[in-house]
Amino acid sequence: MSQLELRDIRKTYPGALDETLKGINIDIASGEFLTLVGPSGCGKSTLMNSIAGLESITGGSIVVEGKDISTMEPKDRDIAMVFQSYALYPTMSVRENIAFGLKIRGMPKDEIQQEVERVADLLQISALLDKKPARLSGGQQQRVAMGRALARRPKIYLFDEPLSNLDAKLRVEMRTEIKKLHQRLKTTIVYVTHDQIEAMTLADRIAVLKDGELQQLGTPKEVYDTPENLFVAGFMGSPSMSFINVTVEQAGPGLVVNIEGSDGRKLALPVPDYLQGWAGKQVVLGIRPEHISQPDEQKRDSQMVAESRFTVEVTEPTGPDILAVIRLNNVDVQCRLDAEHPVNWGEEAELMFDMRKVVFFDPDSEKRIRP
Amino acid sequence: MEHTQRRPAGVARASSGLMDGLQRWLPKLVVAPTFLLVGIGIYGYMLWTGVLSFTNSSFLPSYNFVGLEQYAKLMESERWIVASWNLAIFGGLFIGICLLIGVVLAIFLDQRIRQEGAIRTIYLYPMALSMIVTGTVWRWILNPRLGLEKLMHDWGWTSFSFDWLVNSDFAIYTIVMAAVWQASGFVMALFLAGLRGVDSSIIRAARVDGASLPVIYWKIILPSLRPVFFSSVMVLAHIAIKSFDLVMAMTAGGPGYSTDLPAVFMYAHTFTRGQMGLGSASAMLMLGAILALLVPYLYSELREKRHD
Amino acid sequence: MTDMVRTGFRPSRIAIYGVLLLACLVYLIPLIVMLITSFKTPMDIRSGNLLAMPTDWTTIGWTKAWSEACTGVQCEGVKGYFWNSFKMTVPAVMISTLLGAFNGYVLSKWKFKGSDLLFGMLLFGCFVPFQVVLLPMAATLGKLGMANTTAGLVLVHVIYGVAFTTLFFRNYYVAIPDALVKAARLDGAGFFTIFFRILLPMSTPIFMVSLIWQFTQIWNDFLFGVVFASGDSQPITVALNNLVNTSTGVKEYNVDMAAAMIAALPTLVVYIVAGKYFIRGLTAGSVKG
Ligand SMILES: Nc1ncnc2c1ncn2[C@@H]1O[C@H](COP(=O)(O)OP(=O)(O)OP(=O)(O)O)[C@@H](O)[C@H]1O
Ligand SMILES: [Mg+2]
Repeated sequence: MSQLELRDIRKTYPGALDETLKGINIDIASGEFLTLVGPSGCGKSTLMNSIAGLESITGGSIVVEGKDISTMEPKDRDIAMVFQSYALYPTMSVRENIAFGLKIRGMPKDEIQQEVERVADLLQISALLDKKPARLSGGQQQRVAMGRALARRPKIYLFDEPLSNLDAKLRVEMRTEIKKLHQRLKTTIVYVTHDQIEAMTLADRIAVLKDGELQQLGTPKEVYDTPENLFVAGFMGSPSMSFINVTVEQAGPGLVVNIEGSDGRKLALPVPDYLQGWAGKQVVLGIRPEHISQPDEQKRDSQMVAESRFTVEVTEPTGPDILAVIRLNNVDVQCRLDAEHPVNWGEEAELMFDMRKVVFFDPDSEKRIRP
Repeated sequence: MEHTQRRPAGVARASSGLMDGLQRWLPKLVVAPTFLLVGIGIYGYMLWTGVLSFTNSSFLPSYNFVGLEQYAKLMESERWIVASWNLAIFGGLFIGICLLIGVVLAIFLDQRIRQEGAIRTIYLYPMALSMIVTGTVWRWILNPRLGLEKLMHDWGWTSFSFDWLVNSDFAIYTIVMAAVWQASGFVMALFLAGLRGVDSSIIRAARVDGASLPVIYWKIILPSLRPVFFSSVMVLAHIAIKSFDLVMAMTAGGPGYSTDLPAVFMYAHTFTRGQMGLGSASAMLMLGAILALLVPYLYSELREKRHD
Repeated sequence: MTDMVRTGFRPSRIAIYGVLLLACLVYLIPLIVMLITSFKTPMDIRSGNLLAMPTDWTTIGWTKAWSEACTGVQCEGVKGYFWNSFKMTVPAVMISTLLGAFNGYVLSKWKFKGSDLLFGMLLFGCFVPFQVVLLPMAATLGKLGMANTTAGLVLVHVIYGVAFTTLFFRNYYVAIPDALVKAARLDGAGFFTIFFRILLPMSTPIFMVSLIWQFTQIWNDFLFGVVFASGDSQPITVALNNLVNTSTGVKEYNVDMAAAMIAALPTLVVYIVAGKYFIRGLTAGSVKG
């Protein structure tokens, strides 16, 4: 049985003209880690608040373990939430912060004591228990906020961008820690993030939201490799996928698309047979930076590669590799080059296009063309 | 799952529907008394006074409607015209002088002054006094024989004469003096707070461009304090229109009715002269005056908010 | 802002200090005059001038003002009225501040349909000249049997003070993140628990502002006192005005000044002890919304 079911969730804020959530359907299994991504203002926080009961929904239902909780008060839903701003009670010590929810629920003192210590151990904040939140660093506050959620042992945890106020290094550390914690406790988590890598590394499944509508729900690999539409394709992955308008053409037994560099050099790229029905028509070719790189001997055997020389317009060394921009069919296209063989801007480089993982979109519906 | 099943014992999961229902109503219940008090005490009474202003109520409220007669009477009343003129003179001078003094003192105080805190405390303490106290003191200071005049005579300026307090042509200016003394420190505090909020990098940039300090203040800083300016004017105008205590303490409207303000007029007619209808009409006109100031102010405030 | 002027004794700085100190004198002189006059004998007042020190210091003005001076027909000094003012001010300040705190809490953290309307009503209520409510209020108090009572004055001050206190608290609580309330709701806290356990402990500064603002406003009020109270229930400001305007016998300026000092002392003390909060109240009260 799924732990949390969102059935056609709709939400219109009082006085607002548009629906903020336009019928969201997601099933979340027990122990699953679901990340929720989408551009700012797409309704992620609204969805989280609705699940928690902090906002009432205007349509649909929220079901936990088979029971409809849509109209329950937040306190009765057995859901905990970690906020971006941590929302620690400033006048209470860390201990009191963690104990607050337990005290209100009438847990005996000695049990509260035990529970606080268990959580503090788990998150390694035992030394901080008697400090006030204002005296803690961002990372420590973050731990306390998680501790407060863990102490209640709720059925479901909601994280609304919990790491976005931390600096880059700390964010990576905490990310790992959240992952470990999840693997250890097997809790059900819904996790909102802006961070691509956070979404990819933490999630069992990713839900991509746009304008209050679910765009795609799938494992990180599915979402990355087979995005449902142009939006998801462009949103997931950093640096993002490049899109090139091309026409599918018949070339002998196979199909190709032609691309043209800034110097007029042309190259025919082999495309898979499922585009047969699109021959002679325009499609959008979605190609990720790692699909264009310096020639690789092992790939040469494949039918689905092509090579040519192109002028590099811009280079951005990232450390392990170099991001280079070339112009194809009058759009900028990013490629990922080996840092061992540096290329300077303005120079030509021999590039290999690996067409096995590229995707194609219908330019009208913006949907991916399925095999 | 083992984690969630080991739910701590003793965690009560009471969810009585009654309590939840009450919780939902609590916010409204809590503000209900205020809503009632303010709804009746301000808005209801405002209407009531409005109604009374159309009646010929004298010593007791009556409901014989006479249309706009009271307003017409008001417009013909020599005393009301004096009161209105006085308000214009008093308000104009009071607001203008307070702003001038307030701005100058604020700019001067903003120049890294030693003991700034102490000086500020001195400038502002009159705001903590009752206007009745202020009036009593100034009445004594301006006493035509024993006050300022005698001080000047003792200091050797024997021709000095100062009888404004009892001179019906000048008495209103003594009220301006006392009011400015009381409120100018407050304007200073508002502007000082505003100056402290000005981004110092703008000033540094202007200095790099070669602007002199007075030019920077005049061209850059003061224009950026427009909101402070407006809210100061609002508050001062509000004080001026409601000014009652100070006049009562200093001159009680005299000599004759030369220092009457609308507030004094309203009080005298409503509560001592038994002309409630007329008094109510004057109160409504005071409200109108405030509205005439307030509506454009709130409008611009709200518009600015939306621009943010 | 201040770092642009280098300190140093250039003529312009001397001029600035000169102006500032002169202004200090102007602001202080009435207080000084009030004080030294209150310690003079009537003889001294007639022979000396405003700023002349008393030739012999006497507290006769003070004792007379406190317990003998005539405030209208009665000649028992201002002491009774002084206590009246306390009896009126303390409950009115407490009630209006508490109401304001709850209102501010609701209007910032528990908004409902119509709560913005209430807020607008209160905001506007801060500007209404009290003259438009005096007459109906007097009639109502009469009907309720509260005319000329301290309880009636308390009620009036609560009604017309609650708009300000609500604004203070509302603006203070608006700045506190909503997430705090959300977290507490998920922790199982209800309306009052959140207020008393979470927001109240953070509210000391705004409570100070509200208490002090209300105290000075209500203590210093004259209009409501003179309209809604008479005789024994009058507050000190009305008594002071009566005392000064009583025209029986010889004018005793030392008594006037002592009485004025007595009326001024409580708010002056509050100002000196907690001036920081007083100024904050003033500025907050002026830039509402
Ligand atoms: N209380 C509210 N009243 C009215 N509209 C709201 C309210 N809260 C949010 N909205 C609107 O609903 C939409 C979704 O907001 P939401 O906060 O859920 O976005 P989000 O996806 O969490 O964005 P972000 O990534 O910036 O946090 C926005 O257009 C926002 O303006
Ligand atoms: Mg959000």
